[in-house]
Amino acid sequence: MPYRENRIAKSKEQRAKSNVFYVLLILLYALCSVLFAGAVDAKMKGRCKDCHSMHADTPYPVLTKGGCVGCHGQLPNGTQNIITTGKARIPQVFHHMQNGDLAGGNFYYVADGYNPDYSKGHNVLGISQPESIPTMISPPGFIGNVVIPGGKGPVDWPEQQVLTCSGAWGCHGDRNIYDPYLSMYTAHHTHNGELDGSTVGKSYRFLYGIKGVEHPDWEYEATIDNHNGYKGDFNHNTIDTISYLCGECHGKFHPNPNLGGAKEGGFANFTLWVRHPADISFSTVHGGFAGSEYQDYVTYSLESPVAHFNPTGREKVVDADSILMCMSCHRAHASPYSDALRWDYSKISAEDMTREGCLICHTRKGGHQ
Amino acid sequence: MMQWKIFTARTILLCIFFFSLLSKAQGTILSDDCDACHGIFPGMMEEAPPGEPQKFALQNLLCVNCHSSAGKDSIKILGGVKVPVVHNTMKPASLLAGGNFYYVATVLGDRKGHNVDGIASLDIKFRSNPPGYDIESDPSVKGYKVEKPLTCAGSNGCHGNRNVENPFVAIRGSHHADDTPLDGSTTARSYRYLKNTDKIKGVLGLEDQDWGQNSSFKKHNEYSPSMDNFCASCHGNFYRQDKIGKMSPWFRHPAGVLLPKTEEYANYNPEFPSPLNRPGIRMYSPDAPVARDPVPATPVETVEPGADIVFCLSCHLAHASPNDSMLRWDYDAITSGETGGGCLICHTGKTE
Repeated sequence: MPYRENRIAKSKEQRAKSNVFYVLLILLYALCSVLFAGAVDAKMKGRCKDCHSMHADTPYPVLTKGGCVGCHGQLPNGTQNIITTGKARIPQVFHHMQNGDLAGGNFYYVADGYNPDYSKGHNVLGISQPESIPTMISPPGFIGNVVIPGGKGPVDWPEQQVLTCSGAWGCHGDRNIYDPYLSMYTAHHTHNGELDGSTVGKSYRFLYGIKGVEHPDWEYEATIDNHNGYKGDFNHNTIDTISYLCGECHGKFHPNPNLGGAKEGGFANFTLWVRHPADISFSTVHGGFAGSEYQDYVTYSLESPVAHFNPTGREKVVDADSILMCMSCHRAHASPYSDALRWDYSKISAEDMTREGCLICHTRKGGHQ
Repeated sequence: MMQWKIFTARTILLCIFFFSLLSKAQGTILSDDCDACHGIFPGMMEEAPPGEPQKFALQNLLCVNCHSSAGKDSIKILGGVKVPVVHNTMKPASLLAGGNFYYVATVLGDRKGHNVDGIASLDIKFRSNPPGYDIESDPSVKGYKVEKPLTCAGSNGCHGNRNVENPFVAIRGSHHADDTPLDGSTTARSYRYLKNTDKIKGVLGLEDQDWGQNSSFKKHNEYSPSMDNFCASCHGNFYRQDKIGKMSPWFRHPAGVLLPKTEEYANYNPEFPSPLNRPGIRMYSPDAPVARDPVPATPVETVEPGADIVFCLSCHLAHASPNDSMLRWDYDAITSGETGGGCLICHTGKTE
């Protein structure tokens, strides 16, 4: 081949290789963009003015437009469970959208002014008056001075103390800090990476110290393979599970030795229970998983979800390693049913053939056997 | 002999005049062309019957007329003296540190700045009520009269003596008075003639010779936190601690507080790295300036979180700006979780 033609041929070959290289580079970039886009985004994206007011006539803490409830309960009678303002998508924990309750439920059922039934959820400051019945003066099952991420919980729950969204007397934020807003400091603007519980912003749903995977729409229109990923741990030697968070106030209902332990709940694994357990896997039930009724809970149920040691939010199959948690039965905020349950407990019976509610797990308690 | 005496006397007078020029700060107006300012606005003095004092005819308009321009330039020359233009009737080519009333004078301009009489009509929303006005924070004996419009100077204005209702009288003499040192002792010796009353020390600061035109980190005004107290005279509820909270948490955006040296604030003006070998020091941003106490003698190129102060003018321009709430930036365009600018110059942790 003449020298010039040889050079042209080589040049074409190099160009082709170069093109392939660039195509691969672009594909790699696109792949990285898809894989890591969520990892580098801040949780809160939007105009400052959508959530904050610098010199409001009626000011709220942290310059917010109405505090927690003002943002997350903007339209109690409205029909939006997620309000989009500019680039900000704000989950509504207090709304009136039919079939629109998010994973945490809906405070509408307990909200003053909206025909509330206080038995259906948490009475949070700004939404409901405190319950006055004696059993609800402090959180049911309350144990004082328990271990919480970063410190100890309140020693006592004063009779007049109202439940707040966050802070020492609430669920969200750093519970070592009394002020609800300071306890949430910078959380909304923390970069979304792995929810390792190291800060409030890096905790599942800003529940300090709790791990998990967050469904992007707060489980609105979730599917059995795309849902919240709840952290569970049947070893009871960690404080990063969603059930442990509940146990920080309802200690007697959790088998972790930091909380109710064996004394209140019964021995942890492979034993009979005194109270319904949380943070136990189906593999550790009394009598073992093999041959148990729990074997028949096969496909992930959004009605009675389970936790996992390493949740992904994509779990479709329920097996021996799946972990029972508080959220398997309850909604965190409020529900249409008593005790913030996911179902009407009064209608679940051993004759029931539907396998709903309790019978999703307790498959042989229904009318099938 | 007589001629020689006259020559000597004239020479001495000239020398006195020359040296007096050197001893005066450049802010004091010294010009041998009085008409340049005083003759171009006919009707300055009303005719008065013999034996009665003359009255100033135009009052507030005197300020407006002299400091306005039909052109684009925001500094004009009158009688060889540089005059800052605070109101261009056409879009200004550049803004001075106080902004430009052009933006409030335009249609739907109410949100852009202070509606000063003679430039803009009454604010449709606030009328003449200063937002956040708190009479306890207003040191003026006369106080702000909501039934009267906002003026440049006087009790319903910002400049001059706020114990004097008449805008012209409130500032009379200041332009020709000795203005050094800028110690707040007189109106002329107060930063930009901002001195509430005789008994209140005036605002301190270091005045840029070009009123902040084309300011940079090297060349800019230096502000004192006394500016906050001054703004609070009419907007007290935005400054009083019992109205804004105490950091734990804030209820309104604070002013007169240290730019924290921790967390996101330690990275103030993130577009520029810290000066070499000066960790913890950041480069000054004319888009979000700070106040300092004491005021430095020359403009300082850097900002020291933990020592320098967030103040009203960190976010706002005093007169008017192209943006709502007379902000230095377009609040609508600032998005958390994205690139910086505006609020994010200080709130660096809210960027992407």
